[in-house]
Amino acid sequence: MIIHQSIKDLFKHLPLKDGLNISFHHHYRNGDVVLNAVLNELYTQDLKALNLYPSGIFPVHTSIVEGLKQHRINNITTNYMNGPVSAYLKAHGLPGELIMQTHGGRARAIEEKETVIDIAFIAVSAASKAGDGSGLLGQRPCGALGYAVADAQHARKVVLLTDTLVETIENPEIKGADVDHICLLETAGNTSQIASGTLSVTRDPVGLKIAREAMRVIKASGYFKQDVSFQSGAGSVSLAITQMFVDQLKQDHLTASFFTGGITGVHAQALKDGLVRKLYDVQCFDEAAIESLKNNPNHEPMSASLYASPSNEQRKIKALDIVILGASEIDLDFNVNVTSDSYHTIIGGSGGHQDTAEDAKLSIIVAPLIKARTPLIKHTLTSRTTPGKHIACLITERGIAVNDAHDPTLKTTLEAQGIQTLDIQSLMDKAHALTLVPAPFKRPKHRLGYIEGRRKDVLDTLYWGERDD
Amino acid sequence: MARSYLFIPGNVPRMLQNMDVFDADAVIIDFEDAVSLTDKDEARHLTQLFLRDHLPPSLDIYVRINSDAQLMKDDLIALETLDIQGIVLPKCDQDTLKEYEASQANFRVIGIIETPQGMIEVEKTAMHPCIDGLILGAEDLKKEMGFTRSSQTLYYPRQRLLYAAKAANIKAIDTPFTHLDESGLSEDACEAAALGYESKCAIHPNQVPTINQLFLPSEADLMAALKIVKKHEQTNSMRFSLDGKMIDKPVIDAAKQLIEKSKRYGVKGVL
Repeated sequence: MIIHQSIKDLFKHLPLKDGLNISFHHHYRNGDVVLNAVLNELYTQDLKALNLYPSGIFPVHTSIVEGLKQHRINNITTNYMNGPVSAYLKAHGLPGELIMQTHGGRARAIEEKETVIDIAFIAVSAASKAGDGSGLLGQRPCGALGYAVADAQHARKVVLLTDTLVETIENPEIKGADVDHICLLETAGNTSQIASGTLSVTRDPVGLKIAREAMRVIKASGYFKQDVSFQSGAGSVSLAITQMFVDQLKQDHLTASFFTGGITGVHAQALKDGLVRKLYDVQCFDEAAIESLKNNPNHEPMSASLYASPSNEQRKIKALDIVILGASEIDLDFNVNVTSDSYHTIIGGSGGHQDTAEDAKLSIIVAPLIKARTPLIKHTLTSRTTPGKHIACLITERGIAVNDAHDPTLKTTLEAQGIQTLDIQSLMDKAHALTLVPAPFKRPKHRLGYIEGRRKDVLDTLYWGERDD
Repeated sequence: MARSYLFIPGNVPRMLQNMDVFDADAVIIDFEDAVSLTDKDEARHLTQLFLRDHLPPSLDIYVRINSDAQLMKDDLIALETLDIQGIVLPKCDQDTLKEYEASQANFRVIGIIETPQGMIEVEKTAMHPCIDGLILGAEDLKKEMGFTRSSQTLYYPRQRLLYAAKAANIKAIDTPFTHLDESGLSEDACEAAALGYESKCAIHPNQVPTINQLFLPSEADLMAALKIVKKHEQTNSMRFSLDGKMIDKPVIDAAKQLIEKSKRYGVKGVL
């Protein structure tokens, strides 16, 4: 194992060339420092035609914008993106293509050699001299390293970047056998920035109304029983539902079998309280989750492949009962957009959206029917992230629409429990009664790339430039 | 019959647009304390436009107008063509009622009793022909009287207003709880319910579910009421014994009211 004192020193030992495929993970989210440090050094060495494979891109990643301005980046393949990179791509496009994958799809593509990574740069909060990597030890932990595991196992060269070197690591997520180099940095990442964003239970009354309605649907669906499994995101409404879900487990003297996905303090507390038996954690969303992963043996890290790869028969979400998902747009066939806004700026991406929607038995979309005077339900989506056939129902503050094409029995089940449902067209009409019918937008002319399904299918095209209204 | 009366500011479009999604039984659109002097016209205009085109069908809507004579006049002009349940009159006493009468508006009125003068005139106010209900305004009353809010200090005003309202056969609505902690709200609402209040004001939409739940008849109360009405109908008698208790007309009437309320709010056990 070669240990380097700086990225500059590291680069002397790597097969650097124009056109490199390089990958990063986003476990530090907006507290990541590694991507910027590596790219800036690559620019110093005058490398061009780079192809980036970060699992997520956050506002902190301004070096990508610099690389795009200097014409050093050709293609970007990622699962999630927001911030200045999105704004730049919307205004200027990309020489190559932007491919928006799912978390499970990214792991599958790497494992099946569709994606070939030349060098994986993996930030870890601690590395052992044998090359094992952990996100739990050290001064600046980031928690689970699920998105980096496939990169470590399959990249041609693997580099761990860390600020903490230890003698040994027990049960490391990144195995030393996969690692070629260790590079020491002043800091591996900023733990305090992992939880930046909306990682708190909503107090917004509309959000809480949606959460209460979602909990009613969950209870009435027939899936809420002993050993139920559940996943929700880290959005403020999702967290409110998670809290209600946990409270209901307690009230009904039930125990969930497992929670999956990104894990927060709310999930960790439920494990501590004995309301769920296992947490399968691909990504820690806050410091409470990191502490739990460190100390609770029933809180287990998992790779993105074990989480959601469609080729992995052991994937945890294959046994998932209920998933709560968001939407920025939904159409009358329940197709969902969480990738771009109506100006075609990338505002997020699938992450595990499509993976979990497809695999879970009950995939619930929660979203306000009207947001900033714009109706949620559209005749035509700006982009399609998740096919509607995977969605069971849409829950808004003004009503619940069930997708009969997904589950023809759900509507009857809910109505038998006293839950009124509407068809999605009626829900759209309700919104239009308040907002009127928005004028259709014409999409920009230039192709930016595409949204890739978890099995490499193309779900939609992405565009850049001004809308041609 | 309403359990919750939710105050929403009249000059906030998002709140007006969502007034029917918060699950309140009634909303009180506020032109008074929640709206600064410079925003009064905006509140009137927004409310007028919104209610003209989007009157929610199954929601009781009131508007709290201003007690100042000129502001009151402008408020009432803005409301005159709207199909609302009534207006809420702040600082309600005999003087403000005279002011309201002078405007020649013919809305039904819920008066807020929130001044010492209002409190000592509450029985007379309750009997006024335009009055449909009374709200206790504890925060203003507290300020005027100099007391600290507690169940003890609220006991007298709550009781006095309640007796006045019951005697006049009008609604008595409990004062809002101004903190946003749920357990404090529950405690405050339970105290009011124990005295005989059947409804309470909310000053935040997140208070509504708690209030609705606490002022809902319990399943046990409903079962007892159904039993009373069933025996009354079977025997065609206004006076009988049931489960060791004597039942007469007031008890039968109260049971019928409770069943009606349970039907409206979907308490389990109502056919």
